[in-house]
Amino acid sequence: MEFFANFAGGTAALFGDPVGVLVFAGGVLGGMLFGAIPGVSMLTLAAILLPFTAHLSPAHGIMLFSVIYCTGVYGGAITAILFNIPGAPENAPTAFDGYAMTRNGQAGKAVGAAVMCSALGGVVSALVMMAATAPIAAWAISAFGPPEIFALVFFGLTVAASIGADNIWKGWLSILAGLAIATAGLDPVGGIARYDFGMPYLLAGIHFIPVILGFFAVSEIFIQAEKKSRGAYRAPELSVNFPTLAELLAHKIAVARSVIIGFFCGILPGIGATLAAFMGYNEAVRWSKRREEFGRGKLEGVIASETANNAATGAAMIPLLALGLPGGALTAMMVGVFQMHNMEPGPLVFINSADLVWVVFAAMFFANLSILFIGYLETKTIINLLRIPFQFLAPVILLLATVGAYAVRGLTLDVIAMFAAGVAGFFLRRSGYSVAGIVLGLILGKIGEQVFAQSMQMLHFEWSGFLGRPIALALIIAAFLTLITSVYRGLGKWRESARHV
Amino acid sequence: MTHCKKILSSSAAALAALALSVNAAHAACASDYLPASNDRPGGFPKRALTMIVPYGPAGGSAQVSQAMAQAVTELTGATINRDHKPGGSGAVGMTAFMAAPTDGYTVLQHIDDASSAHARDSSQPNPARDLIPLVTSQITFSQIYIRAEDERFNDWNSFVEWVKNQDGQATIANVSKEGSMERVSMKLITDATGMRIQQISFDKPGQRYGALVGGQVDALFEQPGDVRKFLDAGTFKPILTLLKDAPSAFAGVPGLREAGLDFEPLFRFRGFFTHKDAPEDRVRWLRWAFQKAYCRESYQAFNETKYMTLIESFRDTPGTRKLISKTIDQYRTVYKQMGLDVK
Amino acid sequence: MRNLKPGHITEAAFWLALAGFFYAKSFGFDREIEIYRFGAAAWPRALLLLIALAAVGQLVRHWLIPAPANDRGVSGESEAAAAPAAAGLRWHLAAFFLLALPLAYLVVPDWAQARFGLDRPALHALKLAAAAALLLPYFAVVRANPVGVMLAVPVFFGALMQDIGFYVLAPLFAAAVMWLMGERRARLIAAVAALITCVLLLLFVSLLYVGLPAGNISPFYEIGAALVNFLQ
Repeated sequence: MEFFANFAGGTAALFGDPVGVLVFAGGVLGGMLFGAIPGVSMLTLAAILLPFTAHLSPAHGIMLFSVIYCTGVYGGAITAILFNIPGAPENAPTAFDGYAMTRNGQAGKAVGAAVMCSALGGVVSALVMMAATAPIAAWAISAFGPPEIFALVFFGLTVAASIGADNIWKGWLSILAGLAIATAGLDPVGGIARYDFGMPYLLAGIHFIPVILGFFAVSEIFIQAEKKSRGAYRAPELSVNFPTLAELLAHKIAVARSVIIGFFCGILPGIGATLAAFMGYNEAVRWSKRREEFGRGKLEGVIASETANNAATGAAMIPLLALGLPGGALTAMMVGVFQMHNMEPGPLVFINSADLVWVVFAAMFFANLSILFIGYLETKTIINLLRIPFQFLAPVILLLATVGAYAVRGLTLDVIAMFAAGVAGFFLRRSGYSVAGIVLGLILGKIGEQVFAQSMQMLHFEWSGFLGRPIALALIIAAFLTLITSVYRGLGKWRESARHV
Repeated sequence: MTHCKKILSSSAAALAALALSVNAAHAACASDYLPASNDRPGGFPKRALTMIVPYGPAGGSAQVSQAMAQAVTELTGATINRDHKPGGSGAVGMTAFMAAPTDGYTVLQHIDDASSAHARDSSQPNPARDLIPLVTSQITFSQIYIRAEDERFNDWNSFVEWVKNQDGQATIANVSKEGSMERVSMKLITDATGMRIQQISFDKPGQRYGALVGGQVDALFEQPGDVRKFLDAGTFKPILTLLKDAPSAFAGVPGLREAGLDFEPLFRFRGFFTHKDAPEDRVRWLRWAFQKAYCRESYQAFNETKYMTLIESFRDTPGTRKLISKTIDQYRTVYKQMGLDVK
Repeated sequence: MRNLKPGHITEAAFWLALAGFFYAKSFGFDREIEIYRFGAAAWPRALLLLIALAAVGQLVRHWLIPAPANDRGVSGESEAAAAPAAAGLRWHLAAFFLLALPLAYLVVPDWAQARFGLDRPALHALKLAAAAALLLPYFAVVRANPVGVMLAVPVFFGALMQDIGFYVLAPLFAAAVMWLMGERRARLIAAVAALITCVLLLLFVSLLYVGLPAGNISPFYEIGAALVNFLQ
């Protein structure tokens, strides 16, 4: 079997080389730590480490980034659960139920589920990635042109609008606000300045990383500060009782569903893991018999979202390695790693450097496995951060977030944007709007407008062109079905509440 | 040897380029006349220089900045921290640079976008007058690419004929900045040939190449160094070179004269600058360091991988000023023809 | 109408005003692009119209159906609402005034430079004077409105960063946050601020070579640059 021979070769190359082992271990720990320290994220670490990879071999450089990716997506779940601060956008849905569980004194259970499910989703994803990178990539690149991606973005937005907010109108207002923020900067067709208010730095547009840090990390601190000022602050209760195997086995269908959703979303450039997590969560809600329990600390919510986002990690490597097309911020930085060694990711990598590819594959597989073992140990230490008095933890988080926001693009605009988003989050989070929805709108807004313009140019400005493309048509139908069911569900809720009154 | 592998899998064009570049490596280099070492004026630089790069950490500008920084460090021992400030087609990095202290410790990497931005809106800095060019280290031309296995057309003439038959339905992937070198060049091509082709705007290079690979568009406008991996893999095939006469590395690909297109080609160029108000002795040292570093073996090897040795890539300070001023005039003329408002 | 509360109308008015403002602003870039007939303004305008539609939709929903008692349950994020210190028109006005000060710092000196053709030293002097003057209101209202000051101080910290630099601002900012969070032991504040800054700088500057903003204005730029030189 060629597959096993390749895998064994990659494993041997990875662990037979002391530098490789060191880099692997550094990546696993670094990803988990940066993912799990509130205020910074795996993207901060990646942006910081990028220049250093020039000193590593190409295989080690790429491997380091893919390991950080796997463990960072998991690490981001810990802060989402413990502090309501998702480390990356793909952890945002984890916070819906995860943070509620922390407040219910079940932090350990939620984190334990995140550990198990991240590892499981990641391992399955890594296996499929190894087997199917080349054929899947070839299919996706010709089947998914701008019209299909636009249809998918539209579908994703209808899904996201129906979760997280108090009602469907607030959900859409959140999404639309995010989409509108994304229009600041240069337009994606002519490079024409929009909403720059005469400030040149605004031409860079609003990046989603500072907005995430602001909405989640900074606004959380503002909320606690406000509580402290009227003496209502209470430290969260700590618990490290992990879920039992039986509890997890009860959700095996949710896990399987999220693996599939996560993997297929992850393949698609640009939207990948974030949409995966949102859709994984939404499907869990949709299939559940007890929908009303979601958002109040239901284990299944954490499971669905965490499985899906880690299942997307392996998938996101497929277009990168097979076609040289990065899907998100972290995979784009991996292109930078390749280029620092005068290499280009793409079809040639498989021919010229098959060893490199298999070292990376093996590393991702073992990184996901190691989440399982190190995750437990790490969690027991990280959870103790909650014991630090809040007035000392707050400046640390704020300064870390400052570094994290600045390191992405080197712009102080991003620091200002982050704190402004923190203020906005402080007001929005008690008004029933979904800040996670705003973030998703912001991320998908840039892509959405661009693929919309490209579709219109390709279809010669004929709207009916969408209907002639089967995948796009199917996705648009799915989007409208989602829209209709969410409105119907909303109506049901109203009738019910009207009866009560 | 990695070269053997490359030759085995490469197209004829790449093979020719390799042969040419081997020759170039032994030829005299443009800044060889400069002294091999130069005293630091008053100990400058006493600490690391900062190089502002107005584009992201992946892509052409990031790579040339890294290669140049490395060469300067090899030459002088001075370290250079690169500071990426992407956004606004280079405008953000330029603004940050103009606000930075003028003590000579901050240098700027920029490309022809800075020239076209000034041509469009004269309130933007003119890199020839408002900055001091240290060196221009990459000058390259553009090409039009198709998929190598495309059955509908296989060279420039059959492509033009096919496009004309599509009645405006044919598509080509291009960048998303109005008035940029790429968009202006496409305008010149379509005017000269009289063909109608819909340009599709792609912000990110990867998406642009993916669109051609995946068959979403019919052709691609790009510079050869950026798509080298696709050329070496035999996925893409150039059908037109935007130079008066095609270099021998792309012997089979018609240049403008051969294709019967009568316009002056525009170039992509990347270079390094410092502040107009920086102390004179420091500027002199920086000019020497950057121009001399251009001829370092490591930098020349880098330029070869990017097809940057096919036409002379080096310009010193006056040469860069001349290049920029000529470019600005050229853009102004075309902008007026295109009906874009010029401020 | 009996189901509508004043808050609902304010909310809808806020969204409509926001959409209207940005719609009006979109005329500044409303032109066709040579390869795209919808131009730069069509997409943002469509979004703004949808925002207006959703705002009206929500208003109609409030009008037709009384809000359920547990309307906030789904998001699981709203326990802060009980008896907030941040409430009332006066409080909001004060908070927005405090938040507008950093914006003034970003806009006014640059405007003055363009208007009066200031040279670099004059601009820097003006910026320092503006920073000092704009910070005064914070000291004046901090006892009456600590939460508003807590919201605004980080924004001011961000606004000052390009000119003053991270290295000088970080310890001051850390100390200010601790004080605003209710810590009053001055020596402890100084010690913790110094400790936090040192650990951060060792981690990011010495170990990871992150380039943080060193500031553009003398002498803060020199301090920042010397610190970076020392740490690397």
